[in-house]
Amino acid sequence: MRSLTLEGVSFWYPATDSPALRNVSLHVARGEIVALVGALGAGASTLLLVAADLAPRVTGGRLTGSAARHDRSGIVLPTPWTQASGMAFSVWDEVAFGPANLGWPTHEIARQVDRAIEQLELAPLASRDPVTLSGGELQRVIIAAILAMDPGLVLLDEPAAELDSDGARTLWRLIRRLAKDGKAVLLATSTLDALPEVADRVVWLEDGAIRAVGPPDLLADVAACDAGLGTSVATVWRTSGLPGPYPLTVAHALRRWR
Amino acid sequence: MLALALVLTLTPGAGSSPGWRPGLVVLRTALLTAAPFWVFLLVLHDVTTTVAIGLRITTMVASFVWLVAALEPARLVEAMVAAGWSASLAYLFGATLSAVPVLKARAQRIVEAQRARGLSARGGIAARLRALRALALPLVLSALHEVDERALALETRGLVPGIRRTPLAPPPDTPVERAARWALLLACLFALFRRVM
Amino acid sequence: MSIRLLALIPVAAAISLALSAAVDAVALPLFLDTTGTILATALAGPGVGIATGVVTSAVNTLRNPTFWPFVVVQIIVALYAWVAARAGLFRSFRTAVPAGLGLGVIASLTSTPISYFVFGCTTTGGIALTTALGRALGLPPVGACFFGSFVSDFGDKAVTFALVTSVLRALPRRTAARFPWALRAIGAA
Repeated sequence: MRSLTLEGVSFWYPATDSPALRNVSLHVARGEIVALVGALGAGASTLLLVAADLAPRVTGGRLTGSAARHDRSGIVLPTPWTQASGMAFSVWDEVAFGPANLGWPTHEIARQVDRAIEQLELAPLASRDPVTLSGGELQRVIIAAILAMDPGLVLLDEPAAELDSDGARTLWRLIRRLAKDGKAVLLATSTLDALPEVADRVVWLEDGAIRAVGPPDLLADVAACDAGLGTSVATVWRTSGLPGPYPLTVAHALRRWR
Repeated sequence: MLALALVLTLTPGAGSSPGWRPGLVVLRTALLTAAPFWVFLLVLHDVTTTVAIGLRITTMVASFVWLVAALEPARLVEAMVAAGWSASLAYLFGATLSAVPVLKARAQRIVEAQRARGLSARGGIAARLRALRALALPLVLSALHEVDERALALETRGLVPGIRRTPLAPPPDTPVERAARWALLLACLFALFRRVM
Repeated sequence: MSIRLLALIPVAAAISLALSAAVDAVALPLFLDTTGTILATALAGPGVGIATGVVTSAVNTLRNPTFWPFVVVQIIVALYAWVAARAGLFRSFRTAVPAGLGLGVIASLTSTPISYFVFGCTTTGGIALTTALGRALGLPPVGACFFGSFVSDFGDKAVTFALVTSVLRALPRRTAARFPWALRAIGAA
């Protein structure tokens, strides 16, 4: 079952001549995790906004091709403090902001909020004022706030950027669990080392167009490593002048070494 | 009339805040805030005018000090939503209140960074204006840059015009309180009418 | 109202409030508390500008209750800025600074009656002091009151207009294009 279908999508921001996306075709199935990788400005964030039905509806601009969403989507944007509602004075209320806006009955709001708070391990912070939180804590609150709206299509733009390594590990585990529960996940990240464990497919974007799509092994590809999109292990292997194919993870490297 | 209003304003509420202590704190804050006005009034006017305007200002200050002391922003927002105000209107106040400390902290960081780079606010008017521009420009541009992401976040979290938002634990509002509010409003209109006629 | 304009209002109001707090750092006797109102008007029209002015005053009132009656000044500022933006006065400093001086006159004409009748001209420390100076120079009470407001408003509004002009000029075209009136205000459309 598909959750998102993009066919030949090109997109221009307002007052720009060159497109931010060029002829992108991509589908994401329920239960699948797809990762977007690429250089800064390659189009990953724009692709997520199109998937969320925010571009061009909210951003303005022009879209050609077709974008079909079969589930309600929720998107986590890169900077947590611009996403805080400003109307909540505790973490619990911040997470409940979206569900309340959907007009759900109070007991359903409480159920979803409590579940999201548990998933992001936020229980100890539930009564804190969001303005007193650190960037990483607020990032987890925003992710919980989106998940509490129970979206079928989860879109994440650099979700691990503000997190420490423990927080990031918890997040990647959570993303796998979301997919197991049948949600479709599309994420943009520069934390490439996590992807072999997390992503089902990797989409390599370059200058707004899809350069390659494949399993996470793509991140040990010679061309990807040349473009700075290899995992740490593959990159180290390449810089030390060892022969290809490059190993993707430490486990692969050990196997090659023996 | 004004003196009576002042006494009423400074009398602590019977139900919500028991005892005289909160009342005394409000009284002290209000008098401290109003004190400079009395000094300037005495400098600028005669005694009769000073007393008339001074009492008026003190009443106004005291009532707002009370309001701020009794008001919990979270309760205000939820009460507005429960009373049928638009969620967008509640957002305007809530979001401003929470954005101010963020921008103030950012302004502070910009000032420090520029001091570290040797940009001084001392010297003539021209130097100070340049320092102001160097502070204000990055602050305003970064804030404007965030407007887009704020809009996207609001949209994705469902705060769109015309929604019927579920109020989260709004404060109780009894018929007595509602009647009291109308009565106060009528009293204000009556006072205004007496004043104008 | 579009969601982006809704998001602009609290940001613009917070810009006014944060700038008027930060201006102490450069030791200039300015308020800058209408920066957000003027900027929002130039970017998104008079409705958004007035809303920004009202929100700014309301939040300022929580800090100092005597600010509330001056919400009228914020509304006048938004309307004046709208006329200035339509006339293209934000396109260069040579037109923006005189326009700001003109606003200084209008703003002090608006705030004088409020200040005089409600507060006996004692609103804020600076204005009260200049009013006392006006009295010492032999001006009648209302005249001294206007003098006080005028001295404070005149420079403030000119600097604010110049500041808004700098911001509009520095705004990337791609960002400007997302606000309905910005391109016209900077003369790009």
